[in-house]
Amino acid sequence: MQVSRGGALILWRGTAQAGDGFEQVALPHLDAIYRVALRLTRNRAEAEDVVQEACLRAFRGFHRFNPGTNVRAWLFTIARNVFLNRLRREGREVTADGATLESERESTTGEASAGGSPEEEFFQTVLHGDVDRALNTLPLAFREVIVLVDLEELSYKEAAEVVGCPVGTVMSRLSRGRRLLRVSLAHFAREHGYLRERA
Amino acid sequence: MNCAELQARLHPYVDGELPVAETTAADAHAAACPSCAARVGHEREFRRLLRRQPREAAPPELRARIVADVRRARRRARAAPWLVAPAVAAAAAALVVVLLLPVLRRPAPLVAELVNKHIAYAQVERAAEITSGDPAALEEWFRQRAGLRVVVPDYSPSGIRLLGARLAEAHEQRAAYLLYEKGHTLLSVFMVPGVATELEPGARVTYRGHEYAQLEVKGYHAVAWSDGRATFGLVSMLSYDALLECAARLRAEREQRASL
Repeated sequence: MQVSRGGALILWRGTAQAGDGFEQVALPHLDAIYRVALRLTRNRAEAEDVVQEACLRAFRGFHRFNPGTNVRAWLFTIARNVFLNRLRREGREVTADGATLESERESTTGEASAGGSPEEEFFQTVLHGDVDRALNTLPLAFREVIVLVDLEELSYKEAAEVVGCPVGTVMSRLSRGRRLLRVSLAHFAREHGYLRERA
Repeated sequence: MNCAELQARLHPYVDGELPVAETTAADAHAAACPSCAARVGHEREFRRLLRRQPREAAPPELRARIVADVRRARRRARAAPWLVAPAVAAAAAALVVVLLLPVLRRPAPLVAELVNKHIAYAQVERAAEITSGDPAALEEWFRQRAGLRVVVPDYSPSGIRLLGARLAEAHEQRAAYLLYEKGHTLLSVFMVPGVATELEPGARVTYRGHEYAQLEVKGYHAVAWSDGRATFGLVSMLSYDALLECAARLRAEREQRASL
């Protein structure tokens, strides 16, 4: 089942020589790195800084890149580390683990995704801006796995490597994150009047 | 597979992350269970919704900055590999020495000029305009001929024989040129009035409390210094030690005479 998701993600590189081939291998994924950085930082200027620093680090560490593995996952990992380092440097809260978040959210969200619930009907009417808003309100631990798996189409295993946690954790964060996302989207749909309140 | 089992695997199932056997079982259950088929359908629809999101491109200016960054980093890596790989710092240190040597060896204009004159005079049969082994006679000759007050040191105790003197030009001004010989090795002593503004950027050595520029030009040894009134250059195939000793004696003699 899980062969090449999203097409030719996997690139092979021959010999590793002082950053040779970096532009050809890594720069085609600049848009994807930028998108991920944008979702992590939720701020364009900061995202650009993260991407720029990440690319320079990736260039310097290009000899450590393992040919045959997913280039984008490798680049995302670097960008995420740059982002987290910035958070720590600036004394902002880092919840990379997300374990506490998950348990907190579990109690407040309930089981909103039960089949046949009203939320299922509004998918066609969701506005792009709503998904942005809903994603941006998600805690980092959930947001990042949704961005990696749903938006950038990484496999669970690749996402687990980027985030540095077991595949099982990715799976549970993904299902809870999606659930939270649907609750937010349903809320926005109600605001727009697309979804009528049902008793 | 029953409803609960499918529900537990719903996300990996729609994501295509289930092993083949489980996927087949889930397919079979969903085909037979409308309720589960609906859940699967909704979940897939939700995933499609997320994937429909516009995919932003990185700003062109950001791309340009990164391309420039990478080019700069690559240039640096090639010019100075140890900046990128600290492990080769030791090798780099050796390289620095090799790179610096030509710099140290690059002669200052004055010293290079003196060395060239030394080479030229060494090839001339009668390099001296006045041939004499008497320091006092040569000093008198310079004073009468060019109004130069020249101290002609006597190196004979060291086996360095005075051959003679001539007027030379260095830095486009008249200079005193003294010829000595030790065995068959020529020693040239140049005295140029004034202080050379750019004597020599290379190696400095301190000998008997004074600093000298010491350098090799075209295989010849040169020692040069300024004493505030004139600039001096000694050129020879003799050792640096011998040149420094000659320089120190000349210096000492000038100081002694100046105090009289």
